[in-house]
Amino acid sequence: MALSLNPDAGSPGIEKTNTLHWILFIVILAVIVVVNLAILRAARPRDRHVQPKAGRRPSQVKITAGLAVFAIALFTVATIFSDQSREVPSSTETVAGQVKGEPLQIEATGQQWLWRFNYPNGAFSYRRVVVPAGVTVQLNLVSTDVIHGWNVPELTGKAQAVPGETNPVFFRADEPGVYTGRSSVLSGQGYDTMEIEVKVVEPTEYEAYIAELKQDIQSAQDKVEAEFKKSKQEATIGAAEGKKMEAEINTVDIESADSE
Amino acid sequence: MSRTTSYPQTMPPTRPEVSSEGPSSRPARWIELATSADHKDIGRILMAASFGSLFLAALELLIMRLQLAVPENVFLKGVTFDRMLSLYGETGIFLVALPLVIGLLYYVVPLQIGSRGTALPRVGQIGLWLFILAGFLLYGSLLFTPPEAGINPLPPFSDATFTPNNGVDVWITSAGMAVLGLVMISIDLLTTLHNLRAPGMAWRRAPLFTWAGAIVTWLLAVIGPIFLAAITMLMIDRLYGGGYFAGDEGGSPILWQHFSNIFFTGVYMIISVTFLAAIGEIVQTFTGRQLPRKAFIWSMVAIAILGTLAWTQNMMTAPLPSGWKYFAMLISISLIVPFGLIFYNLISTLGSSDFNMRAPLRFAFGALSLASIGLAAEIAQSTIAVATQLSETYDAWAATHFAMIGFVVFGGFAAITYWYPKITGRQLNEDRARISFQIMFLGTIVAVLPLFAAGVEGQVTDSYRYFAGEGFDTYNLIAAIGTVILFVGIVLAVGNLVKSKSEEPASTPDPYRADSLEWLALSPPPAHNFDVLPDVRSTRPMRDIREAINRRDAEASETAGAPQPVA
Repeated sequence: MALSLNPDAGSPGIEKTNTLHWILFIVILAVIVVVNLAILRAARPRDRHVQPKAGRRPSQVKITAGLAVFAIALFTVATIFSDQSREVPSSTETVAGQVKGEPLQIEATGQQWLWRFNYPNGAFSYRRVVVPAGVTVQLNLVSTDVIHGWNVPELTGKAQAVPGETNPVFFRADEPGVYTGRSSVLSGQGYDTMEIEVKVVEPTEYEAYIAELKQDIQSAQDKVEAEFKKSKQEATIGAAEGKKMEAEINTVDIESADSE
Repeated sequence: MSRTTSYPQTMPPTRPEVSSEGPSSRPARWIELATSADHKDIGRILMAASFGSLFLAALELLIMRLQLAVPENVFLKGVTFDRMLSLYGETGIFLVALPLVIGLLYYVVPLQIGSRGTALPRVGQIGLWLFILAGFLLYGSLLFTPPEAGINPLPPFSDATFTPNNGVDVWITSAGMAVLGLVMISIDLLTTLHNLRAPGMAWRRAPLFTWAGAIVTWLLAVIGPIFLAAITMLMIDRLYGGGYFAGDEGGSPILWQHFSNIFFTGVYMIISVTFLAAIGEIVQTFTGRQLPRKAFIWSMVAIAILGTLAWTQNMMTAPLPSGWKYFAMLISISLIVPFGLIFYNLISTLGSSDFNMRAPLRFAFGALSLASIGLAAEIAQSTIAVATQLSETYDAWAATHFAMIGFVVFGGFAAITYWYPKITGRQLNEDRARISFQIMFLGTIVAVLPLFAAGVEGQVTDSYRYFAGEGFDTYNLIAAIGTVILFVGIVLAVGNLVKSKSEEPASTPDPYRADSLEWLALSPPPAHNFDVLPDVRSTRPMRDIREAINRRDAEASETAGAPQPVA
């Protein structure tokens, strides 16, 4: 199996993250190799009877300054790339339900143990979210019970869905495709199966999809409504009949009482 | 030079209340140990508890890794895995790392500063018994409901609504008692450090490990109460319907993450400072050279303060104002300077010196090597962008484990093998120590290195299984094999500590010709530590004492031929 250091970038921010990770990977590897070679060299067997020359150490100030320069350089690079990866990309397409110039707002609610997605037009879905390609999506992470970890490496990386707070993540998927992830914060017995699927489709397909989704939900809701009304009507009829019977029983009671 | 002075068998009649029959018979050894308020007894019990718990933690880790060895394994149920995970986390932090740190410091530091005891011995004794009760409570819960809400039980998941059983209450109570006990012991040590130093033992002459003791006890006095307050709030939330960590009642679940991460990050720094200082002492003793004191001490202070301030480094995925994330990134990356300086000084001193490779030094090399891998890997965890990818995966787990196994296990064995002759009065078996070191080192590398790969591939932690086809199989299988090796190594190393105590020859008080004062006391030291308190004149009091003895012997041999003065 081939080890890949980074997930394939599906969003502009992740590309920057991947670049930073490559830089850090090389720096960290270099640090580990240098330090451990020095340790090996210091630990190597050697002639124990030769008194070492107690040479002068390089000044501590110089070493500190060198380390500080290294740390500042690392912080600068990390800040530049972190800023870039956190930048909200601008949409190249527009879809229905999106305020012009603003990202498309979708609410992702973590629940034990699945995710629910609310689209702007009132449609909703569980487990799988469908988003349009080329449109910046603002996924507002919320939770109804415990803390859940939103985690789709190719698009957004990780972010917590915390009850009582909204944690937005932004991404713009440029290519249609399917991205999967799995929750990353222990949330109980269904944690291991709490999977996420982000399906990226063309904007027109997205519009058709959520319209159909809304229609399906509406028709299902209509069906429930109709059944509810029908059963309520029956209940009213039944209640009326019941009252009639009750009245009859009462009259019988009164009659029998009278006859005594 | 005869010490067999004969005392009168009966007391003079002026003190009629004094019995002339001699002292009453001593109680059994274990009763003496259990009722002792002596810092050496308490320190030994803490260290013994720590190494016993290390065995338990290694066993729990082994069980978890065996469950994860193959995908979709059915060896453990989900809830059993969660319980193992929670037990492992609490054991590792509260029953292995912290008591080892506090036990070592509490044993060694009063000796190093030339004190005849501690300032508040009963406070230390209460602390010890709180700690021991905590351990029994945690493992007693195996008979009922062990904790199951993870290594860090995040509310609302750990609230009564979502984890209604008593497991989290056990976690709260035992962690609280352990921390309270260890804080009490460290307050005793802190008071001793400030009040009971030997004449001449100014702070500028105090050994590195004593400085670590001061830094650690101060830091624990800050972060311990924060943790105790947090778990009290969690307990009020759970038992009395409080709303500290409930998002819909004016509290916030993020608060708990702040409190707990202040504590856990502080503990990370406490561990780093203590074992770096212990390794510093070992390096100074075996090379016979002094490390640059000022740089070393200021680096330890910087690690303790900066490291603890960087707690939001663990909260990169939480909804925080982004300023705090940049602050955490700045502070954690700035830790490169103090850690780098200490590593540089230790390794360059070793590299340019002559020394005999003995067990303490061997473990110290192992600790430096493993901790360097873990600390370097933490750099990636502390940058905002990469942390959103790597946190909560096995990459983070591997980084933490390299640093913590490096410092606590290898640093711990380095320290315990270094002070072993002092603590037990026996030498340590070098061959067994070497073999157990090699097995442990190999085991750690094989057990933890592949998890970096599993982490960058995206395997999340805390899940009791993963699925075939996700690409994690090979890494987890290798890690399981490595954990078996690590477990064997730990059992052998702990076994060597137990076995050497009864089998090996007795040790002299100063087997390494070291510089600090604990080597002046007998091995093991008597209850009052020192018969004579030295007058400290430099940072290397034992060298001064050895020189004084040599001088006196030389003078004695010069005057050997001269006629003795008539007594």
